[in-house]
Amino acid sequence: MTEKLTRRTVTRGLALTAGALAMPAIGRAQGKSVKIAMIVPLSGPWARQGQLLRMGAEILQDDVNKAGGIKALGGAKLEIIYADAGDSTEKAKNAAQRLLSDQPDLAGGTGCWLSSFTLAVTEVTERASLPWVTLSYSDAITDRGFKFVFQTSPTAARQAAETLPTAMKLAKSATGKEPKTVGIIMDNTASPVSFAKPLRAGGLDKLGLKLVVDEIYTPPLSDATPLIEKVRSNRPDFLLLLTSAMPDCKLVLEKLDEFKLSHGKVPLVGNGAPLGSPELLKTIGPELLDGLLFSVANWPFKGQEAFIKRFIKKTGEPFLTQDGLCGYGQPAILVAAIEAAKSADRIKVAAAIRAMDLTTGQAAQCFPGPIKFDEKGRRVDVPMIFAQWQKGVPLTVYPTELALAKPFWPTA
Amino acid sequence: MTISQPVKRQLWTILGFALAVLALSGVLHNDYYQLVLTQVLLWAVLSLAWNILCGYSGYFSFGHAVFWGLGAYTVALGMLHLNLTPWITIPLCAVVGGLAGALIGFPTFRLRGHYFALAMLAYPLATLYVFQWLGYQEIPLPMKRKAPGLYMQFSDPRVYVGLALGLLVVSLLISLKVENSRFGMSLFAIKQNEPAAEAAGINTWRWKMLALMLSGALAAVAGGLYAVVLLVVTPEAVFGMLVSAQALILALFGGVGSLWGPVIGAFALVPLAEVLNAQLGNVLPGIQGVVYGVAIIAIILCAPEGVYWRVRDRWGRSPVQAAPPAPSAMIAALPRARREPVGDDLLVLKDVSIAFGGLRALEGVDLAVPERGLYGIIGPNGAGKTTLFNVINGFLAPERGTISFAGRSLVGLRPSQVCALGIGRTFQVVRAFPRMTVLENVIVGAFVGASDDAAARQMAEVALDRVGLSGRANALAGRLTTRELRLMELARALAPQPRLMLLDETLAGLGHDDLDGILGVIRQLPADGVTVLIIEHTMQAMVQLVDHFSVLDHGRLIASGAPEAVVRNHEVIEAYLGKKWAEQVTEAAK
Amino acid sequence: MPFSLVDFLQALSAGILVGGAYALMCIGLGIIFGAMRVINFAQGDFMMLGMYAAFYLTTAAGLSAFFGPSAGPIVAAFLAGPIVFAFGWVLHRFIVSRVTGAGAAQTEGAGAYGQIIVTLGISLILQNGGLIVFGSTPIGIRTPLSRSSWEIGDVLLNQGRCVSFVVAAGLATAVYLFLGHTRQGKGLRAAADNSQAALYMGIDVDKAHRIAWSLGVGITAVAGGLIAGVQSFQPYIGFDFVIVMYAGVVLGGLGSILGAFWGGLVIGIVQQMSTLVLPYQLQNTAIFVVFLLIIFLRPQGMFGRLSERT
Repeated sequence: MTEKLTRRTVTRGLALTAGALAMPAIGRAQGKSVKIAMIVPLSGPWARQGQLLRMGAEILQDDVNKAGGIKALGGAKLEIIYADAGDSTEKAKNAAQRLLSDQPDLAGGTGCWLSSFTLAVTEVTERASLPWVTLSYSDAITDRGFKFVFQTSPTAARQAAETLPTAMKLAKSATGKEPKTVGIIMDNTASPVSFAKPLRAGGLDKLGLKLVVDEIYTPPLSDATPLIEKVRSNRPDFLLLLTSAMPDCKLVLEKLDEFKLSHGKVPLVGNGAPLGSPELLKTIGPELLDGLLFSVANWPFKGQEAFIKRFIKKTGEPFLTQDGLCGYGQPAILVAAIEAAKSADRIKVAAAIRAMDLTTGQAAQCFPGPIKFDEKGRRVDVPMIFAQWQKGVPLTVYPTELALAKPFWPTA
Repeated sequence: MTISQPVKRQLWTILGFALAVLALSGVLHNDYYQLVLTQVLLWAVLSLAWNILCGYSGYFSFGHAVFWGLGAYTVALGMLHLNLTPWITIPLCAVVGGLAGALIGFPTFRLRGHYFALAMLAYPLATLYVFQWLGYQEIPLPMKRKAPGLYMQFSDPRVYVGLALGLLVVSLLISLKVENSRFGMSLFAIKQNEPAAEAAGINTWRWKMLALMLSGALAAVAGGLYAVVLLVVTPEAVFGMLVSAQALILALFGGVGSLWGPVIGAFALVPLAEVLNAQLGNVLPGIQGVVYGVAIIAIILCAPEGVYWRVRDRWGRSPVQAAPPAPSAMIAALPRARREPVGDDLLVLKDVSIAFGGLRALEGVDLAVPERGLYGIIGPNGAGKTTLFNVINGFLAPERGTISFAGRSLVGLRPSQVCALGIGRTFQVVRAFPRMTVLENVIVGAFVGASDDAAARQMAEVALDRVGLSGRANALAGRLTTRELRLMELARALAPQPRLMLLDETLAGLGHDDLDGILGVIRQLPADGVTVLIIEHTMQAMVQLVDHFSVLDHGRLIASGAPEAVVRNHEVIEAYLGKKWAEQVTEAAK
Repeated sequence: MPFSLVDFLQALSAGILVGGAYALMCIGLGIIFGAMRVINFAQGDFMMLGMYAAFYLTTAAGLSAFFGPSAGPIVAAFLAGPIVFAFGWVLHRFIVSRVTGAGAAQTEGAGAYGQIIVTLGISLILQNGGLIVFGSTPIGIRTPLSRSSWEIGDVLLNQGRCVSFVVAAGLATAVYLFLGHTRQGKGLRAAADNSQAALYMGIDVDKAHRIAWSLGVGITAVAGGLIAGVQSFQPYIGFDFVIVMYAGVVLGGLGSILGAFWGGLVIGIVQQMSTLVLPYQLQNTAIFVVFLLIIFLRPQGMFGRLSERT
């Protein structure tokens, strides 16, 4: 057991767990497991994301249990209970209510990837005082004054505030001059909409950027010709691409290539995990993606190399992305809170999350910046992560201390 | 007002059902089951609302999500922007839904059948995109920690069960009322044969609009309550295809056009889908959808019309028992018109013409039918006889010419308005309402001349008596013989006591014995003050029946006069038997 | 004017090229509707099957290696037709025919209820079965055509879309000729016009329906195969197209093959050209508005026949 632990990248967590081991296991009888819920879309149009999250969570459960379970509770086994959020908010909400009724001793939960599902599910969990950790980053989730919801991703507004300056800095260092004009192509789902809102409301002016193309479409896109035609006729210095679905990314990228705007002629900056998905690579190939820079709430970074390898080996995925990583990291936050609270009581677990300030350990390893939440349930001091496609792999390039590769600004 | 026996029975059933649901809710000590029960009840309301339009009138809608969604957004936006409590906005949803129904119905009822159904599909989807465009992707209902009850936010899920149950009971009562009134019977007539309903004086437009508005109002109220239960409103969740499909699947599964069908559908399928999701969703994602699909196909193959009808056909009693018929002697005879000689011209057509895609169906037809006359028009198949009737009773508008009835122009009136003026009609192919009883068929016809439902019933009984069909009053129209059907149609046209009857080949296809009975009834009509215009393509019966005769050929009137004179007319023989025959006849006459 | 001539021509050409594939889908649906009066909600899912069939033919069956990366996917799209045709045949034989047929072909008979449930059920089974069999990951057929174009002045015509348009138009013509000039086709049309009368004339209506159904889903599958070379897809994609298909078919006139073709084309054109004057987000709203306008002005659709109402 010890040998296995040392092999793990999360050895820094040992300090914490050792402390926990020293404490006598009180209350909980051996053999009784600690239950955490994961509600994600396993069927329906978003099934892919849900299944990636589940892969991550399964690895975590293995890791925790092989390492001796929850130390503070006398080595109680971790049990993650999965429920399918399906294709509608109603199904997601029902799943939450069902888990709460069937599993009265849930210690916490995580999910649901799609922000509208998360909104519905947290309406249930909040009323049951169940701590809920989510990667959905719609501002509405933590704007409701809820006490038991914890958002690991920076809010859309913060993502927007950080993405453009970073991109412009990079452009300036590569080309010597600051971009003056920008185009926005985005879909109208909740995340891109809340991302772009502060930009249009003065955010761009502050950066001295002129918005020359501003197109919002309803996904799924049927054809990108009229969109890219506008890019062609207005030629922004760079293009901001905010899409929440991989098929739309494909149409836009291929159309840019067809219109001779790819390969650095109009550099692309994106936001959102779909831009770094293996399936995008599979459908359009590495060459067209090269240089595509995107900001994302979380992406595999320095220090996780061993975990990345393990994930790839276990799942057969070509590389690790945000979903697999968060699938592992979010239950890990709950585990850390249970350890800290020395209890699986949901109120105590929630209190432990609120009091949390982790920079080391299994959970902290999975997220950039400290794991520390403000009174709204948003993480504080979260650096924005940037990844860039380089030779067929999207690699973290910012912040520099977490980077796995050096960024470059594509030029024609 | 007295309540009839079957309605009473239904009221007891509804009460029993409500108590059963309350008991169930009391027994279930599990918030999840309460939530699912609430959803079952809400979907049942949507499906019942759908059933009011689509089940009763036969106008299918693939787009009821538009009402549901508007209701949900009324509640969500009202709370978000105006801080309005759902206690106010949910009743308001009825207004929103009713208005939406009117706005949608106004253009869409120009369409029928599949066109109507598919056009309805467009409304929720177009609205969905508009709401996204407006920026209403995700509207969470704000949590009210103070005074939650004031904002319909209860910690006890049983309150929602109660609210949804209340709404369902109201919907059931409304449906029951609709079913047992002129409203429902008119919709039922529209479903079975819209032109016949229109010709029988039912203002089909008005009833269809009312049905859509009522249906929209109920669906919107349910959608509003759904928003309160779900607490998050997104365009996909409330305007999406899943909602429209749910409304129709539940009703189709349970039994379209029945009071309990949608309820059965909701209580069977919503929990089934939920159990499958719960049991299989995390084991093999997708399998729950496959099993659900297989299940609904398997059941519908066994019960193509829905579970309710299947069960009723197998174990149930015979269809709706009407009260025993009053013996005809007890009915006060109508004041019958005195026998008078043929009077002034009642119906006058001048230069009436119409064409279909280049084919002249009627060309310059002049016709004058005297009051209390028995006037016949003959002509070979395709001569334009039925078209002539269609022009008179308003199914078609003439391109040229005038039609006046008792000095009033008929051009531009709807068939139901023409009927209301006192013109009844029968059809070449009998347009009965096969799933209604004979009496109900005739009552539908009587509505136009009756002040209330009771009067209509009495008039119908009188009319049945007049044609000698009182004995079959409670038989289903679908089980009648051809002769009885013709008589029933006559009675239906006679019931509102018209001044003019248009009889379209009433004698066609009848055997010798049957013919005599009907001829007797028709002959009696002018004596009772009813003018008759009858078309036929066989000459024989007509010659015996009418006192004036016109011949229509290729859209023109080629001869007119007393029957004996007309049959000897050269042109008539030519039209009927061809040129060769005409020549032979002329030869022979020489 | 908020747009230039090039913008205009670019949107127009995109509309026509996208519309080509829509037109082919609509024909598939139109044949089924015309002959059987069945509203097939599963049509989009048969298209999805066509996409996966074309994908596996291109990759696993090696068509891409044999015909090259440009021609391979086109051949695969064609071959997806017969595969889905056969699948449709079986499905009709064992399930669909039990709720359709001469007796149930009337517009609002009791049969229509069963049909709706059955096609919705098939749709659910195909989508979710697709998830189990094909997985949730979106995939696409890689072909150089989808990102190359022919240039006419400043207007760029996507090669993939052009080829799929030509294929679609060719196949549409072939279907049109088949229905008009062969015995099978005429029997099918007779069955469509009046199944009762066709029955008396000795036409096997059930068989005619089976041909119509299989042909309809097969043709839509080919359209899916063509689209698979341009767009990526997952098992739930059919739904995105089923609305477009119905709008096109109704627009053209229910039961008219020519109408279905033009209806699909018009949908494509409206969808792409609306973006010149309206917000991009209202693309699909524009489709529905045009759709409603046309059927209000011409309730029988562009090519439908007006029959006397009584």
